[in-house]
Amino acid sequence: MAMEGSGTFYDGLSNKPHKVVVRLGPTLEIVEYGRVLAGWPYEWVRRADSSDGSFRLRTLNGAELARLIMPDDMFAAQVRKACPRLDVEDTTSRTATGRIILWSLAAAGSLILTGLYGIPYAAEKLTPLVPLSFENYLGEATDKQVATIFNTTACDTPDGTAAFRKLIGKIVAPANLPVAVRASVVRSNIPNAIALPGGKVYLFRGLLDKAQSPDEVAGVLAHELGHVKHRDSMRILIQAGGTSFLLGLLFGDVTGSGAAIYAAKTLTNASYTRDAERNADGLAIEVLQSLGRSPKPLGELLLRVTGPEDKGLMNLVASHPLSEERLQRMAAAAPATAGPPILSEAEWQSLKQICGPAKPSDKTNDKK
Amino acid sequence: MTDQVISTNGPSPRPGDRIGFIRNGGRFLHLLVRGALLQIVTFGFYRFWLTTDLRRHLWSRTTLNGENFEYTGRGRELLVGFLIALAILVPIYLAVFLIGIWLENLRAFSSLLLILFMFLFGQFALYRARRYRLSRTIWRGVRFWMTGSGWAYALRAFGWQILVVLSLGLVYPWYARWRESFKMRNTYYGDAPGAFEGRGGQFFKRGFGLWLLTVGGLLALGAVAASFDWIRLEGKEVPRAASIALGAAVSLWLLASAIAYPYFRAIEWRWWAQGVRLGNVSLHSTLRGGQLLKLYLRIIGWVLLLLIGWIVIGAILALIVHLGLGDLKLLLSETSARMKSPGIFHIAVLVVAVILYLLILMSFGVVQRFFTMHELWRIIVESLTVENVASLEGVIQRGDATSALGEGLADSLDVGGF
Repeated sequence: MAMEGSGTFYDGLSNKPHKVVVRLGPTLEIVEYGRVLAGWPYEWVRRADSSDGSFRLRTLNGAELARLIMPDDMFAAQVRKACPRLDVEDTTSRTATGRIILWSLAAAGSLILTGLYGIPYAAEKLTPLVPLSFENYLGEATDKQVATIFNTTACDTPDGTAAFRKLIGKIVAPANLPVAVRASVVRSNIPNAIALPGGKVYLFRGLLDKAQSPDEVAGVLAHELGHVKHRDSMRILIQAGGTSFLLGLLFGDVTGSGAAIYAAKTLTNASYTRDAERNADGLAIEVLQSLGRSPKPLGELLLRVTGPEDKGLMNLVASHPLSEERLQRMAAAAPATAGPPILSEAEWQSLKQICGPAKPSDKTNDKK
Repeated sequence: MTDQVISTNGPSPRPGDRIGFIRNGGRFLHLLVRGALLQIVTFGFYRFWLTTDLRRHLWSRTTLNGENFEYTGRGRELLVGFLIALAILVPIYLAVFLIGIWLENLRAFSSLLLILFMFLFGQFALYRARRYRLSRTIWRGVRFWMTGSGWAYALRAFGWQILVVLSLGLVYPWYARWRESFKMRNTYYGDAPGAFEGRGGQFFKRGFGLWLLTVGGLLALGAVAASFDWIRLEGKEVPRAASIALGAAVSLWLLASAIAYPYFRAIEWRWWAQGVRLGNVSLHSTLRGGQLLKLYLRIIGWVLLLLIGWIVIGAILALIVHLGLGDLKLLLSETSARMKSPGIFHIAVLVVAVILYLLILMSFGVVQRFFTMHELWRIIVESLTVENVASLEGVIQRGDATSALGEGLADSLDVGGF
């Protein structure tokens, strides 16, 4: 067996090539004209990148850039055998890749846990600390985002607006809110109502068209006031903003521009937690009871809008409690004594007409 | 390799200087596909190691006079650079975001500030990323390296680019000359300094025809359209034939501009190669615009093919789900309804959909990277000839490896890079 082979050596100090003889002695000896230029202990020898067909080595305990280049022949195979840790730094090896996967999963896991538990907790604690003036600014910013998604031009007729004001006035009084509420009916045909940070409440005409009594509308608005009172939209904004900022970090969008848009969108999807929804329902029930009206119509309206809630894909993402459950709770909370109607029949009719006549297509969508 | 002839030192030009690229597209593709799958598994974190693997492949298969280059950067360094970039950028973004909300009248100002910040950081990142890559490039046991202030570069690049925009691109050749000169002046191989001797006027002369075709053409079209508007304002009719001709001219202009782009890139590249000096080494490139155009067409072709492939696969999957799994779906959703929890079936569908989406995204990334990295690199290296490499004989090792901060910034700001 040949114990030596020939090669080219660069000492890492200059780019002058040395024609050398490589010997497998006590160390890997690199010899030029009988003079030992370097002796590399075998366990420190590592492979360097080579083009196909040659074999390149470097060492960890000598000059950083020193390189030994040999033809990939029989002797190279012996050198390979003699260097036990030749490929330990190969990043494409199974162990190295496994380690990268493991650490990535650990990092992703910790980010996900932070997103699931850390951020909601932080949002819970931070929300009361956010000054109302700041919340107002946030509300304005979100309002612009919302306007890009929905048609939020306000509906306005003299009689309709007067009726709407009266209704709002009646439910705001018992709700005890920390901020002034600015509510309006807007033209979007989607059956929904949303509360923005800073006390802005939008009732979409799509929902108004589906409503059959002032009690139903009052219930929906009181529910939204519940979100205003508990500053749920502020909380959801902090939470969604934080979560998507984290996700952005994970996938490389540090600017957070995606985060801001996502946060606003979440708000319009009304993805409050179930607890927040139950609390908002609680305020709606309280308000309606104090007016001597049954909250049951609110539950009926919800069921009419959602339809009997099936086990569709939506269930996975839906955050509202099931409509059937909510209806049961509201039906059970009917007050003992009935108060006067919230709006007169004439006022109710002008409120219904505030955006013009109801669209016939919406009627056909009704499930009941 | 071992059969190298070692000549005595001296600047005498050797006819034997040769630069080459050893093709192994299969292995590169293997790295890309493997990396794409690993990126899905590691939530994207593998990108640092993938980039490193790809660079190592390209560097080590590029040879100058029989000795290959070596890329000594590591994925770990890129990860650290990314984390440091985060630590710098996140507070800046948060501060600008809060200023924008809190002080409403400063909002426009603060977003302008952010754009300026982004731009400067982007230029800084480009410079520092080049510095990182260069200082990880080894040939014959000596490293390339760079000095120079990234901020000085970024500020001047900002000024130049304003001039370029104001001059409708006419100043671009002189900006390119300044840019390459700044970079090459600060570039070294061991103790051999780099320089750039290309002249702006030269580039201008070669590119002016293309400028006339694209920017000049756009101006002419704009003028014609404006004159039509003026005629209409006068209350007169524009002849139908004239309007149709304008429409045809616009489409022709769009096509011509798209084709002009690779030709422009080739002109710039040839000009750059001609101007670069490292010690006494000079380059010459025969890269033709047609080669780049062909490369772009190949990318478009493969992307279309991939698109058709995914549509077919999607249709087949939809058919299978629709026909075969109907009963299964019913069964699973009934069980889950009884358990009052989200359907297992739906979670499965969601997971499969997300994975499929990522696979589709990754497949396009693989195609894009294969062509814009491997094939572009190959075409460029194969177009090069080198002279006077012998003048680099006996160069002394100088300079240190720099940190990957620039790479991290470039990654987070999504500015180009390699």
